[in-house]
Amino acid sequence: MSHLLDDDDPNMRSLALEEYKTLESTLTHQLDVVFPSLLTPQSETSHLSAILEIKSGVGGSEASLFLGEMLRMYLRLAQLRQWSTKILAKNELDSGGFKDAIVEVNGEGAYDALRWESGVHRVQRVPATESSGRVHTSTVAVIVLPFSNEVSSSEPLYEDKDIKLEVMRARGAGGQHVNKTESAVRLTHIPTGITVSMQDERSQHQNKARAYQVLKARLLDRKLTSDIENRRATRRALIRSADRSEKIRTYNYPQDRVTDHRLGLTMMNLTSVMEGDGLVDFINALQEEHDQTVMEEILLT
Amino acid sequence: MYRNLLATLSASMSRSHASRELKWMRESLCTEFNGTLTPESVKTLEDMVSRRARGEPLQYILGSQPFGPLDLIVRPPTLIPRPETEDWTIRLAGEISPTKASPITMLDLCTGSGCIPLLLNYLWPSGSNHAICVDVSQDALNLAHENAVRCGISVEFANEGSPTSTKSASILLLLDDVLRSNFPERLANLGEPSFDLITANPPYIPLAEYVNLNSTVKMYEDHRALLGDPNHTCHGEGLSFYRAFATQVRRYDLLKDCGMIVLEVGENQSDEVQRLMLNDAKMQRTAVWRDPWGKERVVVAWKSTG
Repeated sequence: MSHLLDDDDPNMRSLALEEYKTLESTLTHQLDVVFPSLLTPQSETSHLSAILEIKSGVGGSEASLFLGEMLRMYLRLAQLRQWSTKILAKNELDSGGFKDAIVEVNGEGAYDALRWESGVHRVQRVPATESSGRVHTSTVAVIVLPFSNEVSSSEPLYEDKDIKLEVMRARGAGGQHVNKTESAVRLTHIPTGITVSMQDERSQHQNKARAYQVLKARLLDRKLTSDIENRRATRRALIRSADRSEKIRTYNYPQDRVTDHRLGLTMMNLTSVMEGDGLVDFINALQEEHDQTVMEEILLT
Repeated sequence: MYRNLLATLSASMSRSHASRELKWMRESLCTEFNGTLTPESVKTLEDMVSRRARGEPLQYILGSQPFGPLDLIVRPPTLIPRPETEDWTIRLAGEISPTKASPITMLDLCTGSGCIPLLLNYLWPSGSNHAICVDVSQDALNLAHENAVRCGISVEFANEGSPTSTKSASILLLLDDVLRSNFPERLANLGEPSFDLITANPPYIPLAEYVNLNSTVKMYEDHRALLGDPNHTCHGEGLSFYRAFATQVRRYDLLKDCGMIVLEVGENQSDEVQRLMLNDAKMQRTAVWRDPWGKERVVVAWKSTG
């Protein structure tokens, strides 16, 4: 139709130009959005729920306080996305905040969305306890593990003989002699050396069930990671979220901004991120980035 | 404000465990919309902490104890279900697979809160089992009744007048002293002379050990659920119940031919209880199950060699 753009009739030319613009934008949309979404392979992990492990890093009690706020942020996000949550373990500190926490996030797509949260989160602000008004930097580490309630029909994640179960406290004669409430258990997966301790519940049975749940999530995480690595063995590593020791995001209170270092993206209005709404924007941007990377990979192979 | 409470609790246990107990107490109380305790709850919490600091078992203060997937009511003086018992009951549930087509009858002696038969009943298919539960304490039977109702399991008190109605409820509660040598005649009168499975967590603590028990146990839990030789007989080894039971099993033929006996025992009692099962009860085969702490906790006995 391009010859119509040079038509002698000015009316025809302007009509053609108008249509050209519409077509161009449709084409752009097809190329940028529709085409990639058709090419991007369906996520193999879209059905998985997530287990979120949050641990305070450097910065002492300030890190623990921020951990509590991050925990709230993720619970808010789950609410927005209509995922159900269950706190599996949390170590509250006398001084406020938490040393660590483990949360189960149940729902379609929970793992796929949250997996980008794995890594070191950095907070910069003046701690409430700081009298001189100096800005401190503290960190909180997040690990997101895949988790499924359904029994997978494929190969099992572990064999019973590879699990060592220990009960943590001696009970003397035990049985009727003792009515103590300590019920801590520790699981060790011998081949990988992964250990999980659980003591938040009142019964050993419950602690054992939770410990197995977390252990399964860690083993599934290892399996997924090694699957990805195997697929990329001959290619340069593209995935940027793989390294969990990497600093991924900074929450800067004095400047009221949050910066995602992988995307190079900064958003103002820190409160909106902490309320979950702003976090959705980051997660969507990370998902797009991921889809694009997958596309590039497909095109390069 | 929790700091003082935590300090009070920490006097009798590790600080980290004190903070967990405080958390469990807090979780059992009413909260405002924002998660803070109501003023009444704060008072209750303070009261709970001071009771705990005086040595009362946490389970009695909270009024419940998880037992496998069940959450049972506990209250003084009935024995609080122990994790060792929870462990072997879950194991036992997996060892036998009764079905509705071939249901089993079971006898649980010294039933206490009802934890063993209730958990088995809960874990097995419905209609696959029927249990008679015996205890010497009316308090215990009342509690077992409440627990059955709470777990949605049909339950009745044994009624001498209507011996044939026993199969209508899954759990039948019988008040009696299993040390009475002719006690099994009551079972026959109820129309249940023999069983596929007999379980018991009878009192097994020897007197010499009982006097040295932690006051959290001794002062609050029923001595009738703890003291192995209530009549100060049997050389004080805590085995009165096992001796009486072994004799009754043989004399009244309490176990069906393919049946199984599962008895919780105290530290260092498994050898003698196995001997009683083989020699006195005339069982053909025994085994010992260890608890999660590595102690020999359960003696299992079978009537047939198979």
